[in-house]
Amino acid sequence: MLGIRDCAIKSKTFQRLLECYSDREKVSRIYRQNGGKVVGELGCDVPDELVIAAGMLPVRVYAEKESPLVEADKYLEFSFDPVIRAQFEKLLNGTYKNEIDFLAISNSTDVIIRVYLYLREIKREEPDKSIPPLNFIDWLFTRKLIYQTRNEFIAELFRQKLEEWAGRKITDQDIAAAAAICNEDRAALRKIMALRRAKKPRITGCEALVIIGSAFFMDRKEHTSLVNQLAAEAASWPEIDGVRIFVTGSAQESTDLYELIEKYGGVVVGEDHDWGDRFYDRDCNMSYSPVRAIVDRYMLRQFSSKKAFVSQRVKALDEDVDSAGAEAVLFYINEYEEAASWDYPSQKQSLESRGISTCAMMKMKYPVYENDGLDLKIKNFIESSKG
Amino acid sequence: MHNEVKQNMGPARAQKSLKATATAAAYQKEWFEGLKKRVESGEDFGYLNADVPMEILRAMDIPFVVNQWWAAICAAKRMTPKYYALLNEAGYRDDLCSYCATAFAESLDPDDRISGPWGGLPDPTIAITRLTCDCQSKIFELFAKNHGAELFVMENTVPRKVPLNWWELAPERWEELYDTDRLDAAVEDLKALINYLETKTGKLFDINKLIEVMDLINEQESWYKKARDLIAETSPAPVTVVDTINAVMQAQWQRGTPWAAAHAKSLYEEIKSFVDEGRSAVKNERFRLMWLGRGLWHDFAFYQNFQDKYGAVFVWSMYLAMGADAYIRGNVSKDPLRALAARYIGMEDFLHMPPWNSGWFLNEARRNRIDGVVYMVPENCMQAVEGSYFTKKALEEAGIPVLIFKADPVDARKWNRETMTGLVEDFIETRIIMGGKK
Ligand code: SF4
Repeated sequence: MLGIRDCAIKSKTFQRLLECYSDREKVSRIYRQNGGKVVGELGCDVPDELVIAAGMLPVRVYAEKESPLVEADKYLEFSFDPVIRAQFEKLLNGTYKNEIDFLAISNSTDVIIRVYLYLREIKREEPDKSIPPLNFIDWLFTRKLIYQTRNEFIAELFRQKLEEWAGRKITDQDIAAAAAICNEDRAALRKIMALRRAKKPRITGCEALVIIGSAFFMDRKEHTSLVNQLAAEAASWPEIDGVRIFVTGSAQESTDLYELIEKYGGVVVGEDHDWGDRFYDRDCNMSYSPVRAIVDRYMLRQFSSKKAFVSQRVKALDEDVDSAGAEAVLFYINEYEEAASWDYPSQKQSLESRGISTCAMMKMKYPVYENDGLDLKIKNFIESSKG
Repeated sequence: MHNEVKQNMGPARAQKSLKATATAAAYQKEWFEGLKKRVESGEDFGYLNADVPMEILRAMDIPFVVNQWWAAICAAKRMTPKYYALLNEAGYRDDLCSYCATAFAESLDPDDRISGPWGGLPDPTIAITRLTCDCQSKIFELFAKNHGAELFVMENTVPRKVPLNWWELAPERWEELYDTDRLDAAVEDLKALINYLETKTGKLFDINKLIEVMDLINEQESWYKKARDLIAETSPAPVTVVDTINAVMQAQWQRGTPWAAAHAKSLYEEIKSFVDEGRSAVKNERFRLMWLGRGLWHDFAFYQNFQDKYGAVFVWSMYLAMGADAYIRGNVSKDPLRALAARYIGMEDFLHMPPWNSGWFLNEARRNRIDGVVYMVPENCMQAVEGSYFTKKALEEAGIPVLIFKADPVDARKWNRETMTGLVEDFIETRIIMGGKK
């Protein structure tokens, strides 16, 4: 049984990452007590680089697995996906009131656009609800010059908003410096990726989620140095035997799903969701002007399941699966998270024509353990994918 | 922005009283035959999602069909069960995006030319959609591939301004209504579309033709405005939504043609003659109901279920009212592309975003003296999720009760008329009658 192994638990470096991944407010609380400002990010395309350039701490808005959904049920229609429901709940029930100073929302998928509109409307209509100041980043993801140009304007708007929030100017040098910090972090994470994707992996999927996801809740420089250190340590962690699985579909905010996969003899060697490998795909090109570099990074990194054509997603998944050396692909899609369902048949066809086995879990409930019989399905999938 | 045509299924057929509905139905069939001939002779043929600015293709005289209109034809011909089964066989889910995916599902049918509606859909050479939701680009790409068509997409932007009276600003003051950069971006998008179409078809885009098209649309929509106002002020109402939805939608897809403008005029005149003669849709009208949501294409007769028993009449749907308030753009010749941009980018805002939609619904409810609102929230479309909480709240705070239920506008498999009728009857009895409105 893999998951998080003893060698990881015993590592002080990993422990610190795990601490930030598990106790997600630990760092931001201290940061605020010391007078720092925290920007919550909803959607996976808020440019951390700009937030860091403004001297603030970016943290990712995440769902609480168990909390009752009183506010979500009141304001949201039934067809909002369950993770967003739980995130929305925390934005309204007062949880985030004490955790973040500002909220930046990116146009990453339809449902998040709705959440933005609803929050804006609640602020207008029910001002006692104490929702933090908002900014919406209206990226366009279709790859055309006219949209790239508009995205630069949109990035500038966000920069101006951050200046207002931070009470100071953000210079081009500030942005370049923050982009460099994020590039270094991405470089460090790529070392982990290499260990994960080695012929004999040295890092499990669960460990990788912790290593990557902790970046959302701590100082980026500290994260970088820990990840670099860990990459050195983990090079001598035991090799892992297991069926090499690639996970695509809904973002996994916790290790629950991966624990099941790794319990039954799989090892997750890669994923294309936003709490995994997609987070550190593509650097800011430091030879561009800073704002252009940000737009380039967020517009041109690996396609998201929500904002791409089927053909783009087929090609992207084929490439990812190849470079991860995966033997099998798990499509795991939460209920009401529909977009990726349209990619699936073409992706499956392409993968299977290349000898990669696939398994589809659609309309999944949240959290993972709410799905009856999932254990067995995963077990069977891993068994059937073996050599 | 998803609309269309007649379709009667289930126990009773809807009773329609307007000649305009019948003429539109006849015209569209004739028009489609003509279109097929043009396509057969080798002309480029566009297939557009409903929110694409079709005015450009109209001005360039490129034949086109609108996705949502065609979906409704498929539904009316009872083809959807077959098509959803084909989706399923091909490994797709059959419970997603029924409306937008019908034509893609149809494209999986090897027998389309034999058994498809009206001889099937000719192969488009161009497929155009806007990215107003996550799924549309995917569905359109799959559709285009099956037909061997080229795909062209246009983006969508989200408003930062929050004007509370869009229907007052839209006709003339669109620079106030929208963020300037959104209009700029939409004009760029239009230019890219024109560029693409010129290259693809070898036809010239003539701005004067666009002005003509826009003028015809203004004429057409002005008749809808008069019709909407007339129905709003007349009790008992001369017609119900069963009459107006089809008559308006069929002509809306032909907008920018002399036929559509003339048809809108005849629709108004027919309603006016009813009023002049003192004819009403329901003699014992006691309660005026508003229908929020897409049309219930598979069961139009449902709307008439409450007339005899309660004198409850559905007098309002968005179809006629959007024509009245959302389309007219004055002073077109000054900058026709910008005027067009100011029309097409607004549809999403007007219909699907609070407070744009909630404010408008309330204004319309008051203008039409509505006693109760029946609000269908669609089952499987994130784009049409539109802040039902805010709309319900706005209406109920103004003393107008609202019934919300979920259903699918095209998928008859999920519809249970008895349950739905029971819900609405209970609503009329407890919220409208006992609620003390009348
Ligand atoms: S989400 Fe709605 S608008 Fe988008 S493709 Fe599906 S049904 Fe159509």
